[in-house]
Amino acid sequence: MLLALVASILVFFLDTRLDYFKPVRSALSTAVYPMQAAASLPTDLTDWVNDFFQDRKQLREKITAMEANNMLQSIRLQKLQSLERENMRLKELLGSSFRLQERVQVAELLTIDLDPFSQQVVIDKGENYGVYVGQPVLDATGVMGQVTETSEVSSRVVLLTDPSHSIPVQINRNGLRAVVTGRGLGEYLQMDFLPHNADVREGDLLVTSGLGGRFPVGYPVGKVVSVEFPQGKPFADIKVEPAAKLSTSREVMLVLPGEKIQTERVPTKQADVESSKAEIEHGDDN
Amino acid sequence: MATTIKTRNGFVIVITLIISIMMMLLPLPDFARFFRPEWVVMTLIYWAMALPHRVSIGVAWCTGFIMDVTMGGMLGVMAFSYALAIYLIARFHLQLRQYPLWQQALTILSVVFLVEFIDVAVARTTLRWESWMPVLTSTLLWPLMYAVLRKIRRTFQVT
Repeated sequence: MLLALVASILVFFLDTRLDYFKPVRSALSTAVYPMQAAASLPTDLTDWVNDFFQDRKQLREKITAMEANNMLQSIRLQKLQSLERENMRLKELLGSSFRLQERVQVAELLTIDLDPFSQQVVIDKGENYGVYVGQPVLDATGVMGQVTETSEVSSRVVLLTDPSHSIPVQINRNGLRAVVTGRGLGEYLQMDFLPHNADVREGDLLVTSGLGGRFPVGYPVGKVVSVEFPQGKPFADIKVEPAAKLSTSREVMLVLPGEKIQTERVPTKQADVESSKAEIEHGDDN
Repeated sequence: MATTIKTRNGFVIVITLIISIMMMLLPLPDFARFFRPEWVVMTLIYWAMALPHRVSIGVAWCTGFIMDVTMGGMLGVMAFSYALAIYLIARFHLQLRQYPLWQQALTILSVVFLVEFIDVAVARTTLRWESWMPVLTSTLLWPLMYAVLRKIRRTFQVT
């Protein structure tokens, strides 16, 4: 028993303080992956069977709807492309650099349940696809979170709703910058450290500000659903609803690094603000 | 583990442990997520009670370590809590075997509570009443678990 106690404390210490166990953890994660995959099998199988026995009419309706949607999107895209080009020209005139479009890679979630109290998911791409710690993860409607741990064939993504996760944002309407932090259980995020006179309204769209160099600029993070100014507290109490469908998405997108945003391994647990400072300094060196 | 007693069919124990880990991972509907019993702890307790020379603190610690990796929590937390739980069970396994099932279930209650308590005390950032639900469901499901595992042990004659 004493041995177990000592071993636990040793492992505990080495893992949290010295980060000594990263290779071990990564190797073991690879080893337990078959187990995780097997556990997700029943759900995948039911999904597959459901897909298979969908009748013709339903499928046809689905395809029609999708085609209509596709048409709409491509029309919008045309407009966006011209806008993008215009934007680029204007920026060139102003002499500032323009970020090229980010490339993304699609990964799929494993349908397994981890501890319901920490907001994490496992995806089916790992180091074999070049996934790295700190890589931003998006879904079709917004930012989902970032990669915290990779193994050979899978990686773990911490979601925006995790209480240890923060993301730098700005309000789309007026460019006000802030930090949005997860609150653990429940589907809301909170916007921290904004004074009572800050210009925030219900319905404001928050997008990533790109400060910190971890998340690319301009992806939707969420929408402000309520703004309160509690008496006697220095900061406003602002609730944000995430834009990404955190609980229902099955496919996620990993943003591939652009030109030279090679992120070093920085502590992912604490607020992004800290790491952003570090990275800004780091960026100045180059 | 080095042991002088001749042992048989150890792989059955490993398989039950793997199945229980997979049951910890199976997706459940939202309302049931918090009620998931501690399958792995219960399996370990059964084997520690029935065959203390096979499954003891070492096995419990390793299983807990694997769980830590699978769940992605802090390494060593579950390893420690599982080892502690199995230490208590192994210490009192002779008494426990004599108890009627409901009294065993009460023991499970306290041991699983201990496991959850260590988890909450060390690793959790949020504390909610749902944290304690696994204690209840594990206790209620113990008689069933006991019956199933005993059947497995007898069928495969694991010693």
